[in-house]
Amino acid sequence: MKTSMGQNSIAEAFKDLEQFLGDRVTQSPIHRMVYSRDWSPREKNAATFPDLVVIPKTTDEMVRIAEIAYQYEVPIVPYGGGTGMGGGAVAWKGGILVETKGMNQVIEIDEKNMTVTVQTGMTIYELNEILARKGLWFPHEPESKRSCTVGACIGNNNDSPFGLRYGKIRDYLTNAVMVTGRAEAVRLGQRKALFSSTGYRLIDLIIGSEGTLGVVTEATLRIFLLPKTRQVRAYLFRSLNEAAEGLERVLSAGLTVESAHIHCRNRLRFYCHAYRQKFEREPNVPEWAEAILFLSFSGDEKIVAFTMDRATQILIEEYHSKPVGETEMVQDYWASKHLLEYIPFKQKWPDSQRQKKFGAADLGLPIGQLDEGYRYYIEMAKKWDQSILGLTVYNSSPNKASASISFAVFVDDSSEESIRRFYQYVREMSEKAIALEGTMSSYIGDGDRLGGFNQLEHGLSFEYMRRIKEAFDPKNIMNPGKKFESLWMK
Amino acid sequence: MNTNEKLSVYRDDIYTCNRARCGFCREECPVYRIKRYETFSCRGKMLVARGLMEGRLNPSKEMAEMLERCLLCGYCQARCSLKNMDIIIAMREHMGLEGLTAKVHRENVEKIVKEGRLFDRQVPERQEGEIPIYIGCLYQARPKELSATLSVLERLNIHPKIGEESCCGYIAEATGFSQEFERVKNRCMESFKQHNDDLTLTLCPTCTITLKEKYGLPVQHAIIRVHQKLKEPDIAKKLKPLNLRATYHDPCHLGRMLGIFEEPREILHRLGVEIVEMEHNRCFSTCCGGGGGLRAVDEGLSIEIAKNRVRDALTVGAEMIVTTCPTCESTLLRASGRLINEIDIFIDVRNLWDLLDKSLVG
Repeated sequence: MKTSMGQNSIAEAFKDLEQFLGDRVTQSPIHRMVYSRDWSPREKNAATFPDLVVIPKTTDEMVRIAEIAYQYEVPIVPYGGGTGMGGGAVAWKGGILVETKGMNQVIEIDEKNMTVTVQTGMTIYELNEILARKGLWFPHEPESKRSCTVGACIGNNNDSPFGLRYGKIRDYLTNAVMVTGRAEAVRLGQRKALFSSTGYRLIDLIIGSEGTLGVVTEATLRIFLLPKTRQVRAYLFRSLNEAAEGLERVLSAGLTVESAHIHCRNRLRFYCHAYRQKFEREPNVPEWAEAILFLSFSGDEKIVAFTMDRATQILIEEYHSKPVGETEMVQDYWASKHLLEYIPFKQKWPDSQRQKKFGAADLGLPIGQLDEGYRYYIEMAKKWDQSILGLTVYNSSPNKASASISFAVFVDDSSEESIRRFYQYVREMSEKAIALEGTMSSYIGDGDRLGGFNQLEHGLSFEYMRRIKEAFDPKNIMNPGKKFESLWMK
Repeated sequence: MNTNEKLSVYRDDIYTCNRARCGFCREECPVYRIKRYETFSCRGKMLVARGLMEGRLNPSKEMAEMLERCLLCGYCQARCSLKNMDIIIAMREHMGLEGLTAKVHRENVEKIVKEGRLFDRQVPERQEGEIPIYIGCLYQARPKELSATLSVLERLNIHPKIGEESCCGYIAEATGFSQEFERVKNRCMESFKQHNDDLTLTLCPTCTITLKEKYGLPVQHAIIRVHQKLKEPDIAKKLKPLNLRATYHDPCHLGRMLGIFEEPREILHRLGVEIVEMEHNRCFSTCCGGGGGLRAVDEGLSIEIAKNRVRDALTVGAEMIVTTCPTCESTLLRASGRLINEIDIFIDVRNLWDLLDKSLVG
C-alpha cells in the first residue's frame, strides 16, 4: 500500500481544488504550520507540514476533494479537534489536510425520534449548547469536548465519562455518510433505528477507523433528555480491583449509575494536594487507601437520593469502603473533569504541561486485572524513565464495570531520544495488555503509534483488515501511515 | 531588545500551548467562527509564533494580515493562563518593524502622533466642573451622544470638568507600534497633569483600560459612579420605567478586562429593563467585531462577526441590545441593519447612556 506523490501532483491538485474552494484551500506555510501537530507526544519543536489545507463545507465538496486526491494519488488526512493523543491527524506522509470543522451545521434535530443529524465538524460542546436550548443532551462528552468534534469521536472511538450509562459512540451512532477512498459518498447504518440485522455492519467498521477508510461528513446520533439533577460522590478502597468489584455489585443491586471513574493512589495524592492548597486543611484520607472511586448519579431528585444512599450503604457494608467526607474535593474533581471549569496551565502540581507533556498508554484490560496492570505500569514507567502521573479507569460500557485505562505519564519532550523512550514504554505496556487478555488501545486509537505492531493483537485478522482497507481505499489515499504503519514502533 | 528576542521572552508559554493543544480558546473565538482556519484562533497563532521564533516561518504580508484579523478581545486570555494577548501584540510589533503592517494602521498612528487624536473633534474642549473627565476621541467625534451623556451626569449631580486631552493611543499599541505609543503616551500623560492625580472619570471602555493598565492612572469608568448615584432615594425617584426586554452586551474592555459586569446590569434593572442573557456573557462574552483595529482593515469580516453577535441576542429573544461602549454600539447597530436583509427582523442597539437619558425625567 504505497502512496506515490510528487510536487507536480500537489501543484495540479491545488489548481483543481482552487477552482471550487477559492480561499478555502491553501498552500501557505503559515496555515500548514498550524496543522503540523496534534496532542500526541512528539518533540516540542516537531512540526509536520501537510502540503495543502482545505476546508470543505459539504459532503459534495468532500467528494470533489477525494476525486482530485484519487486522480493525483495525494493523501487525505482528516483533522478534527486536534486533541488526539495518537498522532492520527498528523500528515507525516504529506498530502491534503482536511480541516473538517468547516462542516459544522446541525442538519436536523428530531425531537420525536430523539435523534440529531449533524455535520461531523461540529464540536461536542457546541452540539450540547444547541441541544440544551431544547432540554436535550448528547451524553458522549470526552474531556476534550470543547475542541473535539463528532467526527473525531467516531474516528477514534474515544472515551466518554458517561459511558457507564450511555456507552461509547457506537451506542449513539445510527447513521453516517462517509466519503471513501473511491471518492464516493456512502450512507452507512440504519437511519434513525438503533440496530439492524441486515447486511454487514459497515457503520461499526468506521468507528475507530481514524480516517483510513474515508472521511465521515454526516452523522445521526441518538440523544437524550437532560437529567433534572446530578450528584457526585467518592469512595476510598484498599485496591483497584476492589473498587471495580464494588461497582459491579452496586450495578447488580439494580441501581443506575451514570459514571464511574477509578483512580490510583497517585491521582488521589493530587486530589488531596489540591484540596490542601485550596482549603488549607488536611483531608481525612486513611493510609490504606489505594484507590478512589468517583460515582455520579443523575435523574429525578428522589430517585437520585435513594440510589446514592443505597450505593453508599453497599460499598461501606460489603467492601468496607470509606466515603470521602470532603464534599469540596469531590465537587472540584467534577468541576475539572466534567464541567471543565478550570484555567489551563494554572495548577502548579502535578506539572501542568509547562515543562513536560501528558502521554498515556491506553490499555483496555479485563476487569479483574487492574492491580496487575497498575503494578506493571509502575515497573515500566521506572524502566523507561517516565514520571508517573497516575492511572484512571474509565467505565465505558453500559451497566457493567469495564476497564478502559489511562496509564498516564509526563513525557520529557525535549529530545527525540526521550520521546522514543516514551514509545518504548507504550510498546511494553501494549504487549502486557495482550498477555493479560486485553487490548493495546481503548480510546486513543492506533494513530501513528501502533500501526503494524498491532498485528500482535490481531493476528490473521490483521490481513483481513488490510483487505477491508483496500476495498474502501484502493489507492491508499485515506490517512496513509496510520493503523498499518508506525512512526515509532518499527 | 529586538522583536525576535521579545517573542523569545514568551518561549515557555508558546511551547506549553503547542504541546498541550487543549483548544479551550478556539471554538468561541469570533474570528475563527467565521474563518474556520485554526490559524485565526489563538492556539493556531501560538504555532505561528513558534514558527517565527524558530525561524521556520518568515515574516510576510500574509502573516501580518492574519495577525491583523484578531480583535484582541481577550476571550482566549480568559480561557487560559498563558500570555496569549502579549504574544499576539509582540508578533504584530514584529510585523510593524518589518514594515508589513497595513497602511491604514500606519496612517492612523501617524495621525495620532501628529494631532493627538484619531477622530476629528467636534465639541468644545473645556467645561468647568467638580470631577475631571476624560472623554476620548470617539465620543468627542459624536457631539449629540456626548451631550446626552454629559446631561445624564449633570442630572445625577455629577459635574464633570472637561479639560484639554489627547488620544490615549490604544490603537497604536494594539497594532504593534510600541515606539509611537510611547510618544503618544508621554503627551497624554502631560495633559493629565492638570488633574493633580485626582480620580478621573472616563466614558470609553478602551480609554479606561489603556489609561489604567498602560499608564497606571487613577481612572474610573463613569458608569460605576452612575451606579452608586442611582442607589440614592432622591435620584431613584426620578427614574421612569422603560418596560423593555433587552440583552446586555459586555464590551470586552469594560467586562472581562476591567471586571465591570454587574453594575450595568443593575442599572438596567433600575430602569425597568428585563434582562435576558445571551449564552456567552460576562467574562466569556463575545466581541462585537469592532476591536483590535479590525474594522479599519477588514470591514466585511467585522460585520460578519457583529452579525453573529446580533444572532446571539435574537436566539434568546431579546428586543434590544444594550451596551456601554461606543465602538460596540455602532458596530452592532450596523450589523443589525444588514441582518434585516437576511432574516427580516431588526433588533435595535442602544448605549446605556441613551436609556439613562430617556429614563431620567424627574
